[in-house]
Amino acid sequence: MTRVTGVLVAAVLMAGTAGCGLPKDAGTTLDDVRGGVLRVGVTENPPWTDVPDEGPPTGAEIVLVQRLAEQLDTTVEWYPGPESELMAAVKDRVLDLVVGGLDADAPWTDEASLTSPFVTMKTLVAGPPGVAVPDDLAGVQVAVRAGTADVAALAAEDATVVAVPEITGRETMPVVVGEWRLDELDLGDADHEIGSHDHVWALPPGENGWQAEVERFLLAQSHTGVEDLLVAAERAS
Amino acid sequence: MKVYQRFELPPDMARLHARAVRLEWWTIVFFLVAIGMLAATLGQSQAMKAAWIEDMLGLVPPAAFLVAARFRNRQPNSRFPYGYHRSVSIAFLTGSVALLGLGGYVVYDSLVRLALRERPPIGMIELFGQRFWLGWLMIAVLLATMVPAILLGRVKQRIARDLHDKVLFADAEMNRADWLTAGAAVLGILGIAAGLWWADAVAALIIGGDIVRDGVRTTRSAVSDLMDETPYLVDGAGPHPLPGRLHAAILDQDWVADAWLRLREEGHVFVGELLFVPTPDAGPLPERVEALTRFAKDFDWRIHDLAVSPVTRIDT
Repeated sequence: MTRVTGVLVAAVLMAGTAGCGLPKDAGTTLDDVRGGVLRVGVTENPPWTDVPDEGPPTGAEIVLVQRLAEQLDTTVEWYPGPESELMAAVKDRVLDLVVGGLDADAPWTDEASLTSPFVTMKTLVAGPPGVAVPDDLAGVQVAVRAGTADVAALAAEDATVVAVPEITGRETMPVVVGEWRLDELDLGDADHEIGSHDHVWALPPGENGWQAEVERFLLAQSHTGVEDLLVAAERAS
Repeated sequence: MKVYQRFELPPDMARLHARAVRLEWWTIVFFLVAIGMLAATLGQSQAMKAAWIEDMLGLVPPAAFLVAARFRNRQPNSRFPYGYHRSVSIAFLTGSVALLGLGGYVVYDSLVRLALRERPPIGMIELFGQRFWLGWLMIAVLLATMVPAILLGRVKQRIARDLHDKVLFADAEMNRADWLTAGAAVLGILGIAAGLWWADAVAALIIGGDIVRDGVRTTRSAVSDLMDETPYLVDGAGPHPLPGRLHAAILDQDWVADAWLRLREEGHVFVGELLFVPTPDAGPLPERVEALTRFAKDFDWRIHDLAVSPVTRIDT
């Protein structure tokens, strides 16, 4: 019994020191990607990803994918599509990666392996210059982008929802924005948080060598680095 | 004649029982810690999940033992004239059925995953500024939970034999199953690391099979207990020698011409009926009956509640 434990410990240590080769893919994704082609599914979710009618996709995560591709000396092929289609494709390893501002709570765990979150972005209520944000939002008019879950989060705090097509920073009332927009729109008084999103990428399940490679890259990203990419993406659009 | 004995166990056994109670509390603490640690590192490994489920199940026998420990010594009363010894048997059955059900679930789940060719993903984790594969951490946690399970199981098995406590024995068996499970899960995760997608589900399947086997054995034993089976050794290896020895000792009394004895287990102790045929020169019967009752109870602490009747002849 103690011998069994001993053998196991030895096996683990050997595996750990022999190191870099483990874990391995159940398939061959990492080998295929390295020096080959990286097939990436993209769903539109600006400023994380933006899929124009003409030309390649843009956005913060697109830049990250390109950086990863450079590291691995591989060529990226973009496959835009709806999330449900891309996840079905990644499940059977037709795609190597799906990006599009995916949340860690995404329901795709049967189809794909979600990476550990590489950045957490808060959704805040902030004030344009000269506008104060009261602690209690009950009855206060707050501007929020129409058709988003933030509308419901705001309504739950009894705020008077003013749905607008886009937040510009020129509103005369508190606004709901992602935390990366505070500087860009010159917003202040942003202590009121109404939501928070852990961002992940989706990979083929069981390709653990590939997943380790991607996560090593993602975990090396800094919060401010991602924020800068988001700001740049907002400006470009 | 005093009808009821207040205490079930003689002093040295009561001390042993108190030690068992302390051990069971430690077992519960251990399992709670293990469940928490495994939950924190739980990835999408099937074998790991199976080991986790087994840890949760591992709480059932010690809990049953501790609940029974509160009830078994209660004085018989007008509502429960036979006392509360059976609470131990009921606890035993409850734990066994839980074991069986969850073992079945683990087997079913692993088979489905094998059939669907599901590939378990395990990612990276960042801990104390270090980035490493979650699989290594899972293996470390599993190995850490193996050690106390091995130690607790060994001590409890010894005490269970002395106490004639089947719940405690089942619990010790469960600890054994528990560290074997952890070992299988480690192999499953090593398999994932090597890129063998099926290794994990196969490990989970083996674990599940082992849980089911345990469940079947303990459920059968628990049902037999409640069916008033003749006393068996605590590990089920064979019939308990005590009824035969007692019967022979009673026949040895020179004023006993013939005797018939049946015993059943009620938790730790044996209860039953004794018929005897006195010899013609046996003397006044009430005194003889009382003397025989005392003799039987003094013969072994396990003889707890024995109804003794004199008869003219015994036909079997």
